[in-house]
Amino acid sequence: MDFSERKLALSHEILMQVEKPSQYTGGELNSVMKKADQVKVRFAMCFPDIYEIGMSHLGMQILYGLMNTYEDVWCERVFSPWKDLDAIMRRDHIPLFALESQDPVKEFDFLGMTLQYEMCYANILQVLDLAGIPFHATERNEEDPIVIGGGPCVYNTEPIAEFFDMFYIGEGEVMYRRLFDLYEECKEKGISRQEFLHKATQIEGIYVPSLYDVEYNEDGTLKSMTPKYEDVPERVRKVLVKDMDASYYPEKPVVPFIRAAQDRAVLEVQRGCIRGCRFCQAGQIYKPVRERNVDTLMKHAEAILQNTGYEEISLSSLSTSDHSGLKELLEELIGECNRRKINISLPSLRIDAFSLDVMNKVQDVKKNSLTFAPEAGSQRMRNVINKGLTQDDILNGATLAFKGGWNKVKLYFMLGLPFEQEDDVRAIAELCNEIAKVYYETVPKDQRNGRVQITASSSFFVPKPFTAFQWAPMDTMEHFLDKASLCKRSVREQLNQKSITYHYHEAGTTIIEGIFARGDRKVAAAIEWAYKDGALFDAWTEQFSYERWIKAFEECGVDYENYIFRERGEDELFPWDYVDCGVKKEWLLNEWRRARQEVTTSNCRDKCSGCGCASYQCGICVKKR
Amino acid sequence: MQRLRLCKLSVWDLCEEKMSITVRFKFARKGPVRYLGHLDMLRYFQKAVMRSGIPAKYTEGFHPHQIMSFAYPLGVAMETDGDYMDLELTEEVSPEELSDALNAVMQEGIRICGAARLPEKAPNAMASVAAADYEIHVDGAHPEKLQDVLMTAAVNLMKEEVLLLGKPQEDATSSADHRKKGSKKEKKAKDIRPGILSLTAEEREPVLRMRLLSGSALNVRPADVFSLLAERVPEEELCAVRIIRKEIYGEKDGAFVPLLDMGAEA
Ligand code: SF4
Ligand code: SF4
Repeated sequence: MDFSERKLALSHEILMQVEKPSQYTGGELNSVMKKADQVKVRFAMCFPDIYEIGMSHLGMQILYGLMNTYEDVWCERVFSPWKDLDAIMRRDHIPLFALESQDPVKEFDFLGMTLQYEMCYANILQVLDLAGIPFHATERNEEDPIVIGGGPCVYNTEPIAEFFDMFYIGEGEVMYRRLFDLYEECKEKGISRQEFLHKATQIEGIYVPSLYDVEYNEDGTLKSMTPKYEDVPERVRKVLVKDMDASYYPEKPVVPFIRAAQDRAVLEVQRGCIRGCRFCQAGQIYKPVRERNVDTLMKHAEAILQNTGYEEISLSSLSTSDHSGLKELLEELIGECNRRKINISLPSLRIDAFSLDVMNKVQDVKKNSLTFAPEAGSQRMRNVINKGLTQDDILNGATLAFKGGWNKVKLYFMLGLPFEQEDDVRAIAELCNEIAKVYYETVPKDQRNGRVQITASSSFFVPKPFTAFQWAPMDTMEHFLDKASLCKRSVREQLNQKSITYHYHEAGTTIIEGIFARGDRKVAAAIEWAYKDGALFDAWTEQFSYERWIKAFEECGVDYENYIFRERGEDELFPWDYVDCGVKKEWLLNEWRRARQEVTTSNCRDKCSGCGCASYQCGICVKKR
Repeated sequence: MQRLRLCKLSVWDLCEEKMSITVRFKFARKGPVRYLGHLDMLRYFQKAVMRSGIPAKYTEGFHPHQIMSFAYPLGVAMETDGDYMDLELTEEVSPEELSDALNAVMQEGIRICGAARLPEKAPNAMASVAAADYEIHVDGAHPEKLQDVLMTAAVNLMKEEVLLLGKPQEDATSSADHRKKGSKKEKKAKDIRPGILSLTAEEREPVLRMRLLSGSALNVRPADVFSLLAERVPEEELCAVRIIRKEIYGEKDGAFVPLLDMGAEA
């Protein structure tokens, strides 16, 4: 019997002292082992949060799989060690290691970090710190890996710009091969790190922050951002996959031993979204929508299930209901999954006769709830945010569902949206009440399965770059909390209040997230200060300290209120304007004006509104309507 | 093999009275994968069965799952040469074929070492467990005389008539769920001496071997035996570096029989 004793970076004693030791030992199904001396590029792909979160992220699985199809490249995984191990590694001077080879990250050619949410920024520094890599790109030398950032946070890189040698803007499938080719060429010729970074700017999608001079106006706003060399592009254009059916998809994803947040096979049905909700960044930066066709999806599904043994599969995309082949896909998938005894975990679908029928087939009606995301309570507000979901849509959907036996409804809202007034907040409670009313009107007493349960939750709105609301002021903490308590009170005033539960999310995180989302390079000092003061895992509520972050901004002289609380001028230059994500600033500005006028804009399927993404010549922009 | 499960109707679906077909697998785990907890092992095997295409039986309802059970939870860090898993099937497949199919999809460090069809109405693996053999690899302050120390300590320990186990022992191999149970159950000191059926030390390497009762009446854990032994020679600073379960036994006609042989039909 062959029991390979793969070497481990951590001793038995240490592994026995930490929670879930197997998150640090690698060796999972479909993880890729290569020989370090037989590859030219070693890439450490890091998700700066714990293993269970990072391993649930599809983007990482895609890039990991793709890079490992390159014979000359070995991509390995790195996650943030949880606090218990973090302390031990500092105490015993154990360098951060990658899961596959268990080798120190410092020995790698690249350290890639996928930045999915702003609240991981302190963890970026933890990873660099434990790996023994200097925080600032300018302090690194030929021995250090090239630190590269990717993911949605690169749509405003500036608060973390100085921690990275480069950023990759856009979808990972496209340009890494060229980057590696360039890297290998430079390595062979003995070309310096600096020169490599400079050359890399010639690759579309690559942004090297150290090659730009940044100037600010007296009021703290950005004055200019100028390339240091003539051949460095002034604007960096997002790269994207044009043909989703031809693009790489991981049919052999790594299957964690321990239960990850997403413990199932994932099928990405499309990328992008046809709906231009004005608060939504994902809706803009992943434009235009590009579908995978049903045959491709079924082929992937079968292969993934065969290669992983997962007992559940889910569909993933921003708005799965909008996929033009959804009906066909679900029919085929349900058939296949019944044969294989696989569960289907449905995404939240638009509630109509079709989706209810599907839900009926794959879930237990009594246990599951309907989900609506109207985001705002009043129709006026929904027009402001361009959410094409009407009260009638919701009530009709609910009526159908209640007739079919459902009695649990979940609703998602946002508070603090631009132009929001007290009536709009009250409308949230009123909408909940209306739904409850529908239940009592539709379902005769003797057929009721108890009271209808309506759970409404609200998060606070953060204006993000590349949205129509990038000019908008954010509410202050006091406003947020006032609105939340107004909403709570209004719920209590409703006739059916006993059927309604209302929650709201934490406001402190929202404020800090807002600063990172629209901050500039001056914010970096505060991130460093907070990290040194103990900030870590801020995405975990119990780890997050609002006071610490505010203190960090104050200590570092960062005028944080300036980033969030003022309405930005229409001609203001933004720190993220150097990114060309396809959507034009003029178009967004027009959307901002239309929001103020409460005028909606059509979705990409009904009618192109000319956002600018047609320049990519793919997806919905080139489809016949 | 791969697509066996995909043929929808098997002979068994057509029979009115379905005979249950349960197969017992013996497996080993070594190396880094030993840091998995019991539930992770369960999930691992469920996926492996799925990939192997063996005709596992599934429960009905919205969330069908396999009918799988283990003889003895494997604590974090415990290695094994002889643990057991029972699985219900929908159709007869030879034990060899089943082992091969599963081994074809096993990962680093986990192997199927045998399979046997259980007789109808045989008790499940967990209910059958009566005793188990363990091997403990030991490190200590004086490597030169470690074997001697262990041999003497083992003999002395076995001479004691009562071995009280006081507070729950936090040990290297008990998993989190184990510990929770332990702390509730073992508040009172209990005598585990009757549960130590044998304890010897190897002459050539610093290894202890023991056979321990593992039934519902008295269940002795190797780490507990080890700490009782180590407590008696504190100056040697003994520590267990590896604990390996060698075999699990059931009882048949007053004798201990490996669980796999309990399965083999007479
Ligand atoms: S439907 Fe709206 S909120 Fe959802 S992804 Fe699309 S644009 Fe964003
Ligand atoms: S160019 Fe038109 S169709 Fe294409 S993404 Fe923009 S609005 Fe939609």
